[in-house]
Amino acid sequence: MSAQDVGAPKPRVASGARPARWLPILCEAFALGLLLLLALAGTGRAEVSEPASGGLIMRAKGGDQVVEAVRLGTDIDMTVSGLTVRGRVTQAFRNDTGRWVEAVYVYPLPQDGAVDTLKMVVGRKVIVGEIKKRAEAQAIYEAAKAQGKKAALVEQNRPNMFTNAVANVAPGETVLVQIEYQAPIAVSAGEYSLRMPLVVAPRYASPGTAATPESRAAIVDPRVAGAINPVTLTVHLRAGFPLGAVASATHGVDVRDEKGGKVITLSKGQVPADRDFVLAWKPVPLAAPSVALFREKTAGAHYVLAQVTPPIAARAGPPPARDIIFVIDNSGSMGGESMRQAKAGLLYGLSNLKPGDRFNVVRFDDTLTVLFEGAVAADAGNLTRARKFVSGLEATGGTEMVPAMAAALRDENGRDENGRVRQVVFMTDGAIGDEQGLFDTIGAGRGRSRVFMVGIGSAPNSHLMSRAAELGRGTFTHIGSTDGVEEAMRALFDKLESPVATNLVARFEGTTSDAAPAVLPDLYRGEPVTLAARVEDLDGVLTISGVIDGRPWQTRIRLRDAEAGKGISKLWARRKITDAEVARSLAQITEDEADTRVLKLGLDHGLVTSQTSLVAIDKTPSRPADAPLLRSDLPLNLPAGWDFDALFNRKAATGNGDAPADPEQQIAQLDLPQTATDAPMLILMGLGLMSLALVLGAGGWLLGRRRNAA
Amino acid sequence: MSRLATIPGAARRRLPFLLPALAAGSLGLVLCGQGLWIHAKAALAQVLLERAFDQSLRQGGAPVRPWRWADTWPTARIAFPRQGERVIALDGASGQALAFGPGHVAGTPQAGDRGNAVYAAHRDTHFAVLAKVRPGDPILVERADGKVARFEVVGARVVRWDASGVDPRAPGRGLVLATCWPLDAKARGPMRYVVMARPVETSLTLSDLRDRKGMITLTR
Repeated sequence: MSAQDVGAPKPRVASGARPARWLPILCEAFALGLLLLLALAGTGRAEVSEPASGGLIMRAKGGDQVVEAVRLGTDIDMTVSGLTVRGRVTQAFRNDTGRWVEAVYVYPLPQDGAVDTLKMVVGRKVIVGEIKKRAEAQAIYEAAKAQGKKAALVEQNRPNMFTNAVANVAPGETVLVQIEYQAPIAVSAGEYSLRMPLVVAPRYASPGTAATPESRAAIVDPRVAGAINPVTLTVHLRAGFPLGAVASATHGVDVRDEKGGKVITLSKGQVPADRDFVLAWKPVPLAAPSVALFREKTAGAHYVLAQVTPPIAARAGPPPARDIIFVIDNSGSMGGESMRQAKAGLLYGLSNLKPGDRFNVVRFDDTLTVLFEGAVAADAGNLTRARKFVSGLEATGGTEMVPAMAAALRDENGRDENGRVRQVVFMTDGAIGDEQGLFDTIGAGRGRSRVFMVGIGSAPNSHLMSRAAELGRGTFTHIGSTDGVEEAMRALFDKLESPVATNLVARFEGTTSDAAPAVLPDLYRGEPVTLAARVEDLDGVLTISGVIDGRPWQTRIRLRDAEAGKGISKLWARRKITDAEVARSLAQITEDEADTRVLKLGLDHGLVTSQTSLVAIDKTPSRPADAPLLRSDLPLNLPAGWDFDALFNRKAATGNGDAPADPEQQIAQLDLPQTATDAPMLILMGLGLMSLALVLGAGGWLLGRRRNAA
Repeated sequence: MSRLATIPGAARRRLPFLLPALAAGSLGLVLCGQGLWIHAKAALAQVLLERAFDQSLRQGGAPVRPWRWADTWPTARIAFPRQGERVIALDGASGQALAFGPGHVAGTPQAGDRGNAVYAAHRDTHFAVLAKVRPGDPILVERADGKVARFEVVGARVVRWDASGVDPRAPGRGLVLATCWPLDAKARGPMRYVVMARPVETSLTLSDLRDRKGMITLTR
């Protein structure tokens, strides 16, 4: 390119020398073009290159695994009670191969699902799994496997993903494995929903191989769940409030009344396991928050689950005026797309302010700027100034969060405001260097403010940021990819406009209690708050009080009035486990202490956790099963209509690779950063250009000399 | 144009050669300089990082910025005893951090803690050593809080950056080192080379480290 520029002036001399003049320029352009081509070719090559086979390279997962025709039929029975669902998944799989196999498979469960029961049916026997320490369960399983006994093991891979292993399935044999789990119900914008992932992965059977956790993980591939795996499904719905519409967007369903609620079944009876099942239901609109209370008694203790549903009716007036403080991280690591998106999100927040609102903007890196002295009215002048300030931000410097948080929480007009909402929206991508400092700052300075943490990018400290938001009685929004920042910010700001109930406090009177979470967050439109507690006796009273639209509000419920529910203790234990994990990540307790707590909760409540697994062993060594498994012989509560012939007489199809779902979707995997520098390219191009310069220079000099001589 | 006419004949004839030569030469110098500067920065920064990391160790793991305007701080020393190399890793794997040392990828645990600790670095600077790493090789990671985690390489694979299969919260306490693939390519690409290592029980304690002369002494 520089060649063109340099060549542009046309000397009007020695017209005879024309070819000689243009030749070098052409040469140079050609050489540059060649270089460019080479560079591009280099890039192209890098993008398509496949791994060479070398000492360290292993085959991609599953590449050399034997896929056996072990087939699976699944029945799912779910009971919704309030905000929890108890699910029972019965998997029947048959070994259609001529060999004894160990079937290992992974299956997803709803987020926060906790598996607590394992039953294995072998012939006419039902073996109930026991909860053991993870390592102990593994040892028991391995021993049984080596001895030729039937064995089943359930382990937690991730809180929402589990592995089942069944050893010594004889050729032609059918083994039933039933697991039960407890999971919360999702609530969004007044709609309650449960999602049951159905793409259950059966059978990558690897005959005779030792099933270490690693090899187990490697052979797991939910993609083989072909489109033929038949699933039957039933939902018993006891929502805890008067029901409005009940519908499934994914499957045709029949809804019928039953005692205490409704029962939902698939219209087709049986569907292939090729997509998730989603059921959604809505309450009829209510005037005031309704409180639903469920109880369960297990092992001598009472567990209650309270659920506060805010009114969904449209608000009469405009949303109350509020103070909103925007905090934006403009440290160096925000550079590029993150910064652009964060700015766009903040500008949207500014444009969303109502005339009565007040606002302020804080930006920080290792320095700090507070735009206005105190919150100012959202008038045109101030907004213009704020927009200009935000647009001019550039990513540079370090990340010092604590002073920024302190500045954002400084509340000059705190005294004269009764009930006026003050919200701090804190946008950052950064690691929190001084966690305790940040928590102390929020704990001491929060006053009437609510802190909404927004983590942009890979958000290193998700736990800590959600903890910070919890302390600040706000929410944590995690935005993993930079594409989603603006959209997520819009959703957040829209939500922030309408706090329904604030200052919520739960008190138990007349009984001791151990409740989680300890501090209740505010309620926004469409959100309920769930409180789980263990109580000594049911004669107590639960009081939940708060402020709705500036007016105090309170409700009292006698625990005696609670409806019986299922699995509430599990949910409580689950929350306690989460608490232990949070405390671990806050370094409030040591790793070992956290493990001990999780282990105790897991063992006490029979939950599969990171520390505990379920294992079931048939005591007698099995023989090749010659008698088919008859449905009538099964003491398990199989639903009517389960027909093994119908399930298994279909043509065997392993469905290798034809499944719609990407197996990786269920594994939270890390995006790896760019780890190539420009250095080799720069040096290469630099050297190329320099040698070109040498050639040109030498050529020019020689030419000049020759002409002179001539 | 008129000025051109005043230049002596020989020089004028050389001009179409010399000007492009000068331009190409200086551009080449600048590019080479930039390329070398990347390597120089990577090497020089490690000196400062060593200093900051040692200070961090003395302060019980408190972050110490290697230079005042840095947006990151050293979090670990990764040693490859068989290859005789070691390098200071930084917090976070932003492009800025990676220019100076391997980055401890955000959202992954510290080496030796539950889950997969992931460190990433440039293939032509700090993680050029990965080309020489073989299964069975030891890798030591000394953390800023003084803990030492010992690992053994189990294997490696080549993955796309957005399909790494690396689960930071997987069971176990693994170590993952990532760099760009192919290792000797000149241009950027979507593939990554991922070395996986499993923890090795070690009885090393802080007191073993008192006479620190580099972690290589610890491997005997």
